[in-house]
Parts: sequence; C-alpha cells; structure tokens
Amino acid sequence: MMAQVMRRARVARRITDGFRQIEGGVWQGAARVAVLLPLAALLFAVTILVIKARPAIIVNGWGFFTRSGFDLGRSYATTVNHIHGVAVPLGASYGAGSLIIGTLESSAIAVIIALPISIGAAFALTERMPRWVSQPLGFFIELLAGVPSVLFGLWGILTLGPWLAQHVYPTIANNMPNVPVLNFFRGSAGHGEGLLTTGLVLALMIVPIITATTRDLFSQVPPLPKEGGEALGMTDWEVARRVTLPWVRSGIIGATVLGLGRAIGETIAVAMVSGSLLASVAPNAYGTFGTLAAAIVTQLDSASTDGTGFAVSTLAELGLILAVISVAVNLAARLVIKRSARLGAPVGRAA
Amino acid sequence: MTLGEQPRPVRPTVVSTTPSKPEIDPILEALDPDRSRPADVVNSQGLTLSFGNKRILSDIHIAFRRGTITALIGPTGCGKSTFLRTINRMNDKVSGFRHEGDVTLEGESIWAPRQDLLSLRRRVGMLFQRPNPFPMSIRDNVVAGVKAHQIAKGKQLDVVAEERLRQVGLWDAVKDRLKDSPFRLSGGQQQLLCLARALAVGPEVLLLDEPTSALDPISTELVEGLLRQLTPALTLIIVTHNLGQARRASDNTMFLYEGQLVEHGPTEELFERPKEARTERYVTGRMG
Repeated sequence: MMAQVMRRARVARRITDGFRQIEGGVWQGAARVAVLLPLAALLFAVTILVIKARPAIIVNGWGFFTRSGFDLGRSYATTVNHIHGVAVPLGASYGAGSLIIGTLESSAIAVIIALPISIGAAFALTERMPRWVSQPLGFFIELLAGVPSVLFGLWGILTLGPWLAQHVYPTIANNMPNVPVLNFFRGSAGHGEGLLTTGLVLALMIVPIITATTRDLFSQVPPLPKEGGEALGMTDWEVARRVTLPWVRSGIIGATVLGLGRAIGETIAVAMVSGSLLASVAPNAYGTFGTLAAAIVTQLDSASTDGTGFAVSTLAELGLILAVISVAVNLAARLVIKRSARLGAPVGRAA
Repeated sequence: MTLGEQPRPVRPTVVSTTPSKPEIDPILEALDPDRSRPADVVNSQGLTLSFGNKRILSDIHIAFRRGTITALIGPTGCGKSTFLRTINRMNDKVSGFRHEGDVTLEGESIWAPRQDLLSLRRRVGMLFQRPNPFPMSIRDNVVAGVKAHQIAKGKQLDVVAEERLRQVGLWDAVKDRLKDSPFRLSGGQQQLLCLARALAVGPEVLLLDEPTSALDPISTELVEGLLRQLTPALTLIIVTHNLGQARRASDNTMFLYEGQLVEHGPTEELFERPKEARTERYVTGRMG
C-alpha cells in the first residue's frame, strides 16, 4: 500500500518536472521573440517605407527639400510621363520644403511655450504644495496626457482658435515692434487656424508629458544639496535655479525631447488646426501652414486617385523624412545629455 | 550663567601666536571694532521648541562666546541637531514649528522682524552631515554664496575661489580642475569644498552638524585641524556623536539629554569632572 503511494508520487513528480522544463523553455523562447519583435517591426516599417518611397525619391530628387507645393498633375493619370523609368502623371510636382519648415516651426513654438510651464508646474507640485493637493493635481495632469489628440484638435478649431483670433492675436499683432524675430508676430491676425494656434494646442498636449517626467525628476533630488543652498542664504528661486534644476538637467532635456517628438509627429490635431496649407510657409505667426504628418493624413485620400501611385509614393517619402527628423532629434538629445551630464549629478544620487 | 564666566582653557595654538591680554595697547583696543559688540555672539534665552505637539527642546539657556568652539553632545534624538538648526532658522519651515524664548545673534533676536533671513544665513553658515556640493563646477561651488549675496563678481570671484580653497587646503588638489564636477572628488575633499563654500560668504558663526560622520579618519583629522584655524575669527558650534572629537576639537561642551541642557562648561572640566550624574554616564560611555 505504502509502496504504491510512493510510486504514484514519484510518477507524478516526474510528470510535473517535465512540465516545468517545457514551461521554462517556452518562457525563454517567448522572451527572445518578445525582445526581437520591436526591432523586427521597426525594420519592417522602415523597409516598406523605403520601398514605397523609392520612385518618389528618384523623381523628386534633392529639390524636394527646397521646393514647396503639392500638384498631383493630370487627374486620374490620364497622361503619364516616364521619368527615370518611373510613371508620373503629366504636370505632377511636389515639394516638402514648407512642410519641413512648418513641422519644425510648430514644434519649436510648442516646446518654447510648454517647457517653462511644465517646469514651473512640476516645481510647484513637488516643492510648493502639500501632498494632499499635489497628488490629485498630479494625477489630473497625467490624465490630461491620455486625452485623445482629436479632442485637442476639435477644441482648438472650434473654441481656442476663433477666440484667440478675435481677442488676443489682434492685440499682439498690432503692438509687436518691427524688429527681426518679433516682426513675425505682426500683420494679419487670421481666423484662428494657423501656426501659433497649432503651437499652443501642441504645447497643451506635451505639457502633461514634460510635467509628469520633470516632477518625478524633482522628487528624486536629495534634500541635502537644497538645504545647503538655503543655509547659504539663497532664495527659493536661487536654490531651484542653481541646485534643483541643474541636478536633473539631463533628465529635463530627455523629457523635452519626449515632448518634441510628440509635437513633431502629432498628426490629427495639427491637421485640424493648421489650416493645411501645402504650397508655402506661414507668412506670419497667425498664418495657415502644413506639417509633414498632417500632410500625409490630409493628402492620402486624393493621392490614391493617382493611378500611377506616384502621389502615394511621395507621401511615403514625407513619412521617411518625418522618421529621419524624429530620429535625428533623439540622437541630438542624447548628445546634449551626454555633454551636460559632465557637471550634473546622476539623478537620484544619494547625497 | 554664560560660558564666558568660566575660565577659558589653554589653547596652545592660539596662545603662542596671540599676545596675552595686558599687552594690548589700550588705544588699539579702543579702536577694535569688536569692542562694542557683545562678547556672546549667539545667546539662547530660554529656548523651548516643539514640532506640533512634540516638544524637542525645553528651556535652553546658553551663550556662545565669540571665537570659541563649542561641542554639542548627547544621545541620538536629544535635540542636538534641532538646536543647531534653530540658530540659522532652518527649522522655521518644518510643519508645526513653534518656539518660546529667544535666540539672539549679536544681541538681536534672530526672529526679529527687521532680521533678514538671507543675511542671517550669510552670517551664520552651516556644514552638514554629508558633503552636499551643488551640481556645478568646483569653482562655482565655492563662490555660489558669494554670487547669491553679490559680495563679489567677475574676476574677483576667481580670487575668492582660490583664497577659500587655499584656506581649506584644497587648492593644490583642485587647481587644475576648477571647471570639473565636484562629484568626482573624494568624500573628504567634497566636505572641504563645502567648508570653503560656507566660509566664502564671510560668516561670523559656523554651525557644523556632525561634519565628519561620513568621512574616513584621515579626512576627519584634516577637518578637525582646520576648525582650530578658523577661530578666533569665527565662532563654531559643532554637533558630534564622537566624544573623542568633542574632547579634541572644542573649548566648551554642552550636553543635551531629552531636550534639556543638562550641563555645559569648559570641555576639559565637563569630561574630567562632570557635575551631573547623567553627564558622567554619557561621557564615560555608560549611556549612549
């Protein structure tokens, strides 16, 4: 009786052991696949983009970066030219110059507005408010990061844009001095669709990202250096500027690039509030313009009417440029972080 | 009763370089800018301090004589650090902070309305338990306070930086890397840098909160030696857990126990002939 029980137990044990080994193997294999998956996806996306964009790259040439305008040429590809072996509708002409500039301009405006607001908000949350205020407030800011961008676009085009164009822009436009840079803010105040409105909407979208990251960074700064500043007779502002901020400088640069990346790639909200001008850059801060991402989404419909596929290929080239800009921004940020880390302390370093 | 009424212990380093009292020219003495100033730089007059309902210090009466080093000893949680941090008002922002009694600096209450907090902290410097350099270059660390208080600017800052780094004996070690990060220095060097930073704004009083507790024995000796050289220009109050350090480095010692000042007096006397049983048990290591 006893021996039988023992033998059963041994058999059961052997079976579970076998299962456990298989389990381990499956887990290991799955982990390997999971690690390679993002890489494969990236490779796949870029490859497809390059293949799709190839005809456009050949025909559009380097001039694509300096030219502006989107002309599909003869409708439905009734008359087709062959350039370098690529079928192109007669009269088709494309340029991405104004879109590249528009992308950079609107993202730059967004970051310039969002960065001080975010740092100020993060500072207030970590240093100025009692926990029972800062915790729910921080939570709301994080919620804001999850609001779908189409809602931002809708609000921008229906409410914010018209209101600004009526009550704010004219005042700024009429009072800006006529000096370089600032004279960009003079002239017609427009109708609310345009560069500055887009910059503001984008700023609102990236403030939560930068604020949440910066807040986490601030809360990791050890108290001792800050106390050292206070004990030396520095004001709160001086401690913030000379101790707290530099302590997390590289992290804030990273957070900013995170925001910049989102602004550069933001599609639907920009498509709604930019005015979708393809042919030229905005004449002033209030003028309509276009970005790479927004152009892709707004032009896809009409591009698919081009039977040669050349218009779609051009959109793929826009996508490729967008990807290159995003990667370049990220690389540049890494470089800056590396250089500024020379003096700063590693984040969260015990002191 | 103040510490000043008791005979000052003999300090060989000072005695050998300073002429004894009767030899001072009476005219020179009359011109001494310190003459009209009270001999007690810091004076705690019945200081009682609480955080919320928790009383930390009870009725502390003590005066700190100009140019002396006072060691503040007592078991953990006795209120040493709290007392120290009261003097430069670092406790003010702790939630529930309340105080009765008064602490004066040069005869004036540190909480007086006309007392400017920033300049109070310029006059009362502080060195912390662990080195706390700022995330800026070594040179900028030294002159950070000087810049904030606009004591000097431009090229003068370099002069101040060199002078103070020399004063703490760090100049030769860092003169070729003034623009480098301070975080690559050793712990002892970092603490010396913080000392140079505190000295650069020209304080009258220096509060030291266990300044060597994070340092190795050699750095500790270096810092202790420096403290001696800072008197009589500065008045030093040093919190320490290290009784040997209190004995070696201070003129006077005060012993705090459970928020009360049990005993104070010349260091030699307090260690050799304590008046209170609790003091004796603490300094002989039977209570800690």
